[in-house]
This record gives sequence, C-alpha cells and structure tokens, in this order.
Amino acid sequence: MTDQFSARGSSAPSPVLLAGQVLEWSLGSENLNSPAGSADQEVRRMSLPRCVGGLRPDIMTSAERMEAVMVGLRPDRVPFNLFGAGFSARNVGYPVEVVYTDPQKCLRAQLWTGEQFGCEPTTGTGYASYGAYEFGGEIRMPRSRWESAPSIVRPAVESEEDLEKLDLPDVKDAGMIPTLMGISKLQERLGLPISCGISGDPATNAANMVDVNRFCRWMVKKPELAHRALRLSTDHIIQAWDYWIETFGAERVSVGVYVTIGANQIMSPKQFEEFVIPYQVELHDRIRDTGIKGAMFHICGEQNLNLPMIRELYLGTRQTPFMLSFGHEVDLDRAIEMFPDSIICGNVEPQIIQNGTPQRVYEVTRIAIEKGKSAPRGFILMTGCDLPPMAPGYNVWTMRKAVSDFGFYD
Amino acid sequence: MATEARKKEILKGLYDGVVEFDEDKVVELSNAVLAEDVDAYEAIMDGLAAGMEHVGDLYANQEYFVPEVLMCSDALYAGLDILRPHLSGKEADVRGQVVIGTVEGDVHDIGKNLVKMMFDVAGFEVHDLGRDVKLEKFVEEQMKTDSEIVALSALMTTSMLAMPKVIEMIKARNPDAMIMVGGAPISQEVADNYGADGYAQNAANAVQEAIQMVSRLREMGKA
Ligand SMILES: [Zn+2]
Repeated sequence: MTDQFSARGSSAPSPVLLAGQVLEWSLGSENLNSPAGSADQEVRRMSLPRCVGGLRPDIMTSAERMEAVMVGLRPDRVPFNLFGAGFSARNVGYPVEVVYTDPQKCLRAQLWTGEQFGCEPTTGTGYASYGAYEFGGEIRMPRSRWESAPSIVRPAVESEEDLEKLDLPDVKDAGMIPTLMGISKLQERLGLPISCGISGDPATNAANMVDVNRFCRWMVKKPELAHRALRLSTDHIIQAWDYWIETFGAERVSVGVYVTIGANQIMSPKQFEEFVIPYQVELHDRIRDTGIKGAMFHICGEQNLNLPMIRELYLGTRQTPFMLSFGHEVDLDRAIEMFPDSIICGNVEPQIIQNGTPQRVYEVTRIAIEKGKSAPRGFILMTGCDLPPMAPGYNVWTMRKAVSDFGFYD
Repeated sequence: MATEARKKEILKGLYDGVVEFDEDKVVELSNAVLAEDVDAYEAIMDGLAAGMEHVGDLYANQEYFVPEVLMCSDALYAGLDILRPHLSGKEADVRGQVVIGTVEGDVHDIGKNLVKMMFDVAGFEVHDLGRDVKLEKFVEEQMKTDSEIVALSALMTTSMLAMPKVIEMIKARNPDAMIMVGGAPISQEVADNYGADGYAQNAANAVQEAIQMVSRLREMGKA
C-alpha cells in the first residue's frame, strides 16, 4: 500500500483544538447517566465542557477519501459514514418513512445530514424486514416515534401449503423494489455511487418471508421447508441484482449483504453453516462473476462464533474489495486480525449514541478509531448497526469530533 | 395406579421429551400420567419443568440456540395443556403474576415468548399482551390483574425508548409494581437508567430475577 496521502497530510495545519480539552473530555468519560447522581456529580456535569473546539481541516474531499479507501490507498483521515437513513430523515424534519417511500427525500435527507455533520454521505436505503412484502406479505411503515423501520404485519407464508404454492415475484414490481430502483436512478442522475438496496441475505429474507418463529422451527424439524424458502429468496436476490446490473452496469453497482438472522442470538454456528453459508457462497460467486463493483457485508449483532465460517466464505470467493461491517459485539481487534484484506467498518454501539452522554460517545468512538486505524486494508468509522433515528444530533457531532481528534493518519 | 418404577419411567420420559423436543412423546406420556393415575403436579414439576430447566442450561452453554428452545417450548406446552387442568386447587396456586409484552412499535416477539414460557414453567400466572403493545395497555392490565411484575421487551433501539415512559406510567398508578426489562439493546446499565427494578439478560435469568423481585415484594408485606 502506498502512503502518498498521509505524506501530503504532514503539511496540514496542526489541530486547532486545545490540548487541555481532550483531557477534560476524558475526565468526563465516566457514566454520568446514572439516575441517582450525587449533588457533586450534578455540579460536575454542569461544569463539564460542551463539545467545543473546531475540527481539524480535512485534506481530501469526501469523494477522494472514499475513493482512496476503496482502491487501497491511505486517506487523510478515517472516513465516517452515517449508517442512518432514518436518522437523516428525522434530522432534516421528514418523517422516518420517507426513506422507504420517497427517493428524493431519502437522498436529500442523507446528503444534507452528511454535509451538516461532515461525514462521507451514503445515500441508499434498505430494511431489515426485507422479504415479507416482496413475496406477497404485508408491512407497515414506521408510524410512531417508537419505530424506525418497516414492520411485518403479515408474512408471505403462513403454512407449508403457502410455501409450496409460492413463486418468485416479478422482480421489477415486487414490494419495495420500485422505490429502491427509484433511489438508484436518482443516485445515477446526481453522479453518486449506486447502491442496490435489496438486502442480500437469503436467510434473513426467508425468515421474513415465512415469519421468523416458523423459520426457526423449520430449521430444526423440517429443514427441507427452510431450504425451499432459502432457494426462493436466493433466486430473488440474484434476479434483483441482475435487474440493477442491466440498468446501470455491474461496474457501477454496489450491493449490501445484511446478515441478521444468522446472529448467534438466534441461531447456532451449525445452523449458520447449514442455512446461511451455502447461499452466501452462491451470492459471493455471483458478485465475483458479474464484476459487481463493491459489496457491504454487514455482520449484525453477536456473530463471534460465525466468524471463522465467514472468513472461509470470504477467502474462497473474494474478488471485489469487501467492506465488512461489525456490530459492537465483535471486537475490532479480532475483526482486523481475521479479515486483514477487508475494509473494516464499525462498530460503535448504536444504543450509546442514542442514550449515552457526549463524553461516553466521544470515548467509545475514540476506542473504535484507535483500533480501526490499524486495519491494513483500511477502516471506516460507523455505528455497529443502524444509527437510531432518535439519537441526539449532538452525539453524532461528537463522533465527528472524535474522528477529527483521533482519526488522522499522521 | 402406576408402580414407582413406571412413574419414574414416565417422568423421565417427559423430561427427555422436552429436552429432545419430542412433542408426540410428551403428549403420549402426559396422557399416560392421567390414565395411570400419576400425580399431575409431580409430572409437571419433575418431568416437564425439570426438562425445561436442563434446556435452560443447554442454552446457557451454547449447546442449544433459539430454534431448539422454541421446539422444546412446543413440547413443554403440549404437556402442560394436558396436565394443568388436572392440578388440585392448592397445587394450582401460582407463585406470582406477571404481565408481559413487547412494547409499542416493536413486533419482535421471540425473546418475549421465551421469557413467557420460563414464567409459565416456573409457576407464574402469565398475562401475555403480545407484541406492539400500546403503553397504556400495560398499565391497565397491571391494575386489572394486580400482577406483581410487568415484563417489558424491546428489540429495537427506537422502541426501547418507550420503556422509561411506560415504567413511569405504571409507577405513577402503582408504585409497588415491579418492572423488568429485557431485549437485545438493553443492558443492566440501561435498565438502571430507565428506573426498572429488574433486568433479564436472557429467558432463564428473567425468572430468577422475577422470583427475587416477588420475594422482595413479599418481604415488604405487599404480596
Ligand atoms: Zn445490524
């Protein structure tokens, strides 16, 4: 890897923040959230500095920074991606649901929010309950302030007979696909990277298609039914990717693989091997064979027991530079050690960004950045899963401040 | 009347039936309990519940995961449905009452169902409100049933924000109600911050926590 960008970085002005400020911030890293804070603590809380001080000026533009990471060069500093379409919508005053219904507002919200917080903007969307609506079930849009994403009202399959009768949907018309295509067309018009919002994990989508409780039972008692649902959901993903490739060309399209149901909070590593891996092998082969530009592989939640299998999957099928995104449950040191050839993304705990004090946010972000910077193939700071829509903007800005204070590569 | 050896065989069969999630076997043996005049209470406690306790250990040791536990739970309920109507009055006495549900805005219910099952097995009377439960509904149900415990589940970072709200609402109407919270984004620290009385890291631990909460209440002379 060449080092030309960090060499340029050495002529940058020195950080504008005051030396004492970091010290005071780190004093504030204790948990100030406890309900029964003493009077002393209360006074200290009031007197703690707010998140002040300018940001160190960047050397690269956002586009240059992301490009550098993608091609394996060292950028000026760690990029910071907002993993939060819903947060962005709320941040600019739209209801959260626009990111699933209105391509224009979806992009606008994310571009504006990226600009506001000085992050590398991402403009796509996607949703974790993908598969129910697309195969004929019903979802509802987030409607109360307690909701951040579409919820499944009725799965597509409610019995074994339903599954036997189920066919692949028309890919251009299925569920959320018209909106997701609308988003990609707008990305193209604006000259932005084109991301396919189809969630590329057959197991997660199959569980959504048939209801996760039913899918779990089938894995144990009727694996042939689970595999039938997986077959359909894999074929659907391939058709959808092909639709994007036909429309934009493989070399311009990135896809997302969001492995959620495979978390060990639900399934065993053995089940992961039987119900997740074979279909991921197919999809990864497909990515390689079609020459899709990039893939974001989100390893959601507690997946420590699955990592050796993901590593093998990756070694066996790798072609494009894969971005691997980890939740806070996976230690970044371990992620970097196991996946030295991947761009590592993550892994700040979303709940802390939503509920934590700015001091706590600053501290956990610092830790993620300092670990992440040692990733040989590069690192992108993100939350470990969706940035909660209700997270205070101040905490997101605090993440950005930590990137400025700790993220430069010199 | 079954011989002691036959009784042992049946209880062991019920235990194994739950652990091996063999629903047919549990149904067959539960019917044998009734036909052969084995004590239904013993069959539940030393057969089904003991089996489920072992399942809890298997889960804690990562030998079983959610899919297996769901199947064990099916087998367990198949037995409970047959045996429970045959408990004598005193045996049917409950250890406590719990209102349980996944909070408004959240349709995830696997975790909630597992906790519910553990409460059932531990002898609690469970009032299951389901998922996506309006916050007022928790308050109403607690008042209506006079349950000692309200157990709240949330899987999403957004819906977890409903928890402090509903805790406040319940405590305003009944300061003695004990609230337990659990779900993927919840930690002990979050539970404390939200003013919950208990935190369930997983289904097995929920019941231990609940039993402690109920005995705390009883010491206070409330229950
Ligand atoms: Zn995730």
